[in-house]
Amino acid sequence: MGQVAVHCEGLSKRYGPVDALSQLNLDVAEGEVLGYLGPNGAGKTTTIRLLLGLVRPTAGRAEIFGLDCQHQTVEAHRRLAYVPGEANLWPSLTGAETLHVLGRAQGWVDEAYRDELVRLFELDSAKKVRAYSKGNRQKVTLIAALMCRPPLLVLDEPTSGLDPLMEQAFRHCIGEAKKRGQTVFLSSHILSEVESLCDRVAILRHGRLVETGTLADMRHLSALTVEATFDGAVPDLSRVAGVSSVHANGRVVRCQVSGPVQPLLKVLADYPVTELLSREPSLEELFLALYGDQAVKEPVAG
Amino acid sequence: MPADVVTAAPPLRAQRSPTTLVLARTARRAVRSGALWGYVLGIVVASSAVSYTRIYKTQADRDHLAAAFGSNRAAAALFGPAPQLNTVAGFTVFKSLMTLMVLGAVWGLLTSTRLLRGEEDAGRWELFLAGQTTRRRATAQALGGLAAGVTTLWAVTAVISVLSGQYSQVDIAAGSMVYFSVAQVAAAVMFLAVGALTSQLAGNRRRAASSAGWFLGFCYAVRMVADAGIGVHWLIWLSPLGWVEQLRPLTAPQPLALVPIAVFSAGVAFLALHLAAFRDTGSGLLADHDRAPARLWLLTGPLGLAIRLVRPAAVAWALALAATGLVLGLIANAGGTISGSSVQTVFSRWGVPGTGATAFLGVTFLIAAVLVGFIAAGQVTAAREEEAEGRLEHLLVRPVSRASWLAGRAAVAIAVLLICSLVAGVTTWLGTTAAGIGANLGSLIGAALNVAAPALCIWGFGTLAFGLWPRAASYVVYGILAWALLVELIGGIGAGSRWLLDTSLFHQMASAPAVAPNWTTNGIIIGIGAVCAAGGLLAFESRDIQGA
Repeated sequence: MGQVAVHCEGLSKRYGPVDALSQLNLDVAEGEVLGYLGPNGAGKTTTIRLLLGLVRPTAGRAEIFGLDCQHQTVEAHRRLAYVPGEANLWPSLTGAETLHVLGRAQGWVDEAYRDELVRLFELDSAKKVRAYSKGNRQKVTLIAALMCRPPLLVLDEPTSGLDPLMEQAFRHCIGEAKKRGQTVFLSSHILSEVESLCDRVAILRHGRLVETGTLADMRHLSALTVEATFDGAVPDLSRVAGVSSVHANGRVVRCQVSGPVQPLLKVLADYPVTELLSREPSLEELFLALYGDQAVKEPVAG
Repeated sequence: MPADVVTAAPPLRAQRSPTTLVLARTARRAVRSGALWGYVLGIVVASSAVSYTRIYKTQADRDHLAAAFGSNRAAAALFGPAPQLNTVAGFTVFKSLMTLMVLGAVWGLLTSTRLLRGEEDAGRWELFLAGQTTRRRATAQALGGLAAGVTTLWAVTAVISVLSGQYSQVDIAAGSMVYFSVAQVAAAVMFLAVGALTSQLAGNRRRAASSAGWFLGFCYAVRMVADAGIGVHWLIWLSPLGWVEQLRPLTAPQPLALVPIAVFSAGVAFLALHLAAFRDTGSGLLADHDRAPARLWLLTGPLGLAIRLVRPAAVAWALALAATGLVLGLIANAGGTISGSSVQTVFSRWGVPGTGATAFLGVTFLIAAVLVGFIAAGQVTAAREEEAEGRLEHLLVRPVSRASWLAGRAAVAIAVLLICSLVAGVTTWLGTTAAGIGANLGSLIGAALNVAAPALCIWGFGTLAFGLWPRAASYVVYGILAWALLVELIGGIGAGSRWLLDTSLFHQMASAPAVAPNWTTNGIIIGIGAVCAAGGLLAFESRDIQGA
């Protein structure tokens, strides 16, 4: 890992009896794109608000490029831009006025890039904010963040309200930011977005970091999906070591394989297999495997 | 779907009928608000009647008052005609009807635009419209809910008014007070309907409310001209507020004037209901000016943004204070001619020696002080709204410190308070000059700055509350203001201990221009405000940013 852009050490936040975030230890390297995942109330937004110095930690500390988020807030903010999930802007200002004042507050704007972004996101900047749809308000906050070309982008559900075309435009911008060496901290529920953009994923649950690593690392932790089609008798695979979730449909059997596939291949070799497919789990499957039924049954914190 | 699945499904629990859901929801909120405002209206009537009996104890005092204001054109333009000022009933109508009429109208337009258009802007209206109703039916239900609210307003006002009428020295018949209550809420009924109509025409709640507000201003102006004694009294029939005035409660009742009020209210409400079916949800029938060329000259950062955001309200307040100052200046001469020992006693309770135009201004500058106090409270509320609505975060996540943001808001608030105070002073001088009194400009400027002191202290307390308990900041700052005003009014009628009176910030203020401002006291008041504001800043620096 190169220089650390984001560093969290025992970062915790408690709201009354609820631990919204508990003992978060997390580093994000400079130039890295980190996907920050978790179900509603897992503590993603709380983490971001702690990083931005908007709320005070109950314990622990966080740094942005080595600057303490609570005590060197202004200096830290010179190096980042933030896109919130809810774009509540000043209704009486136009889009252009909003971009102007936010740029002045940031202190630095690449005006040519801003104009390019306005065209890319097809924003009608002469309209007043009160007349914008949710998606258009979100475009304003996205452009306001990207136009400053900050070393760190902190994005909290940045594409909520955007249509698929604009979501593509967003992915393009983040891809370019990554090429330029900008660091991206991306909290999102759109797993395909995270899968396509992120170098590494961190998954929160009930305010605790439960998994972190590259997608490849995480895939190794999860089961492989295997689908076999037989020309004849279908074997019983449920007793094969490492095999689970066996579902037979006529001559097609689908199962999950954890660990080595050798035991399964040995059994299959004795049967007339006409087609054998295997694939790694998608991020969605990883996510669901991690949360599964418990995500539905258990109450969530903060 | 298999039959057993259907039979296994749990039975649906009976919910509130979808045909009355909007009605019940709107009524609940309107009734709550109506009860509160009804209490305020009733208390104003009661305090007007009782204070008259305390202040003007003798018939001679009352006759002096009637002689001074009974045919004063400026007073008539401001408060309406004063035909029987030497009676409790006549004074109560003169003192309270116009104020309550305007208060009722403001309640009406704000309530209807909030519960009709505000609900729509917040997206809740769509949830109802996606259910078993139509836009027109939902609007009809909302109007029904508003009717419940205004009925509550009337009922509470009537009960308090009738009770105050039973006070032996007031002695006004219950029937007369009930009729007076009808007059008090008549403007509220009409402007509920006006608000419902502008909610269909305008693109959002703010515009709907401001359009209705401008119409209210127009109605008031027409009535002012009609009552100014310049030979155009017939204009009174062109203003809905004039119709209320023509009801002539407690003096010479004219119930026939209820006809145009009823026709106007029903007609406007029906028009609103009719138009409701012809527009898209989230937009108005009139074209929106939602596009504008970028005006960037103020938008240089958080301070410029604060100025830009505060400017419309500041201009409105400055105009209100200009009008107040002008009218006070114009009627100061008449006010100053009131004499009598009981009047002098009352003036002395407010720290004003003797009588005369300057003494009158010394007492009535309390109005300017209260208005400037409201500006201070509004500034605190506006700062809190920026935080609660999430807009502040857009600045604080950039290289903008909390201290610099709050300091900018403080600078803007202080500037607005001072400018509005000075506007009141200068326009009072213009009024006195026009009336031929020739008051000293310097002393009126001093009096204007004098009223800024308690407002600055109120703002300081509000900033402390903003730092410590942001969600309670509005309640705290308006509570301090209301307490100060209440105690001052109690002091005016000779009640309350010295300790109680000292808890009012207005009571600490010297009654300039009748006496010289006490700059030492003002310095202490402002100092307390500054310490509170500094405490608020420290607390704001160390707390979480909190949403609504």
